[in-house]
Amino acid sequence: MANTIIGSSIVIDGEISGDEDLVIQGTVKGKISLKESLFVEASGVVEADIEVQNVDIAGRVTGNIAATEKVELKADCRVVGDVRAPRILIADGASFKGNVDMDVKER
Amino acid sequence: MAATREFGATTDSTVIGPSILISGKLTGDEDLTVRGRVEGEVSLTKTLIVEPSGIVKANVAVRNAIVSGVVVGNITATESVELTKEGRMVGDIRSPRVIIVDGASFRGRVDMGNAEPRAATDRPTTQRPLVRPTVRPAVAPPRPIAKPMAPPPRTSSSSSSSSSSSSASSGKPNLPPAPTRHEPRETRENKPPPPPPPQPMAMAEAGKKKVLIKKKK
Repeated sequence: MANTIIGSSIVIDGEISGDEDLVIQGTVKGKISLKESLFVEASGVVEADIEVQNVDIAGRVTGNIAATEKVELKADCRVVGDVRAPRILIADGASFKGNVDMDVKER
Repeated sequence: MAATREFGATTDSTVIGPSILISGKLTGDEDLTVRGRVEGEVSLTKTLIVEPSGIVKANVAVRNAIVSGVVVGNITATESVELTKEGRMVGDIRSPRVIIVDGASFRGRVDMGNAEPRAATDRPTTQRPLVRPTVRPAVAPPRPIAKPMAPPPRTSSSSSSSSSSSSASSGKPNLPPAPTRHEPRETRENKPPPPPPPQPMAMAEAGKKKVLIKKKK
């Protein structure tokens, strides 16, 4: 089916919410809240607070990330912000600055 | 991961899925397909496709727009806007090409740009007479009397083409002043009337005193 894809030349300044997977190859500023997975690809730039179930980041993210399941920082990603999730993976080569909180029992 | 990468590689266009809501400003240089909701502002240098499940509540500036879903807002397209049979739209469309097919629902205005030049020229002509009348009474009352005969035929022809208001007044015999005012205005503008009256005075004086005439000239 159709994942939602934000193409590489797209710039969104605002809020994105939804119940399906979202792939970001472009630029999103503002806020993202999903009940499914977010994929920030290598060309993706996100300057937003993120609330999702899972997030895979290969691009650049500036903002706080809260995931109900898992956050994965890929090898070439650059992330600045606080990360909150029960499972957090940071691959070798990832660039990350911020706080990590895996002790999430609120949700 | 592999799945997402494949997606990225295969699709060069952006898709907003059916359960996605984007509120804010969306800009880009590629095709955008909307199956969910977009609210705010959309500006693209390519094509916006609103699919039947798509809802766009936004002011849209694109090159082409194809609306099969719902659009509430104004669309400005540099090339074309098409409302398909499933398309529903409320708002104004501004585009050189607008296509609305049978079955489409639309409420709003359409502006295809190239309004006929005649319409534009007509408006200015009608406005001119309105402006001139105010000037006439103050400047020169005597002249209208001097040129009463010639003007009538010209006024009738010119007035019919130029303005409805002037033609109506000129057509009725009851209102002679209107036509006379018209022609005098034009003639006055082309030829400065004020000088002539002084000249007769000068001539009379000249007859009496030659020295004064030379100084004035």
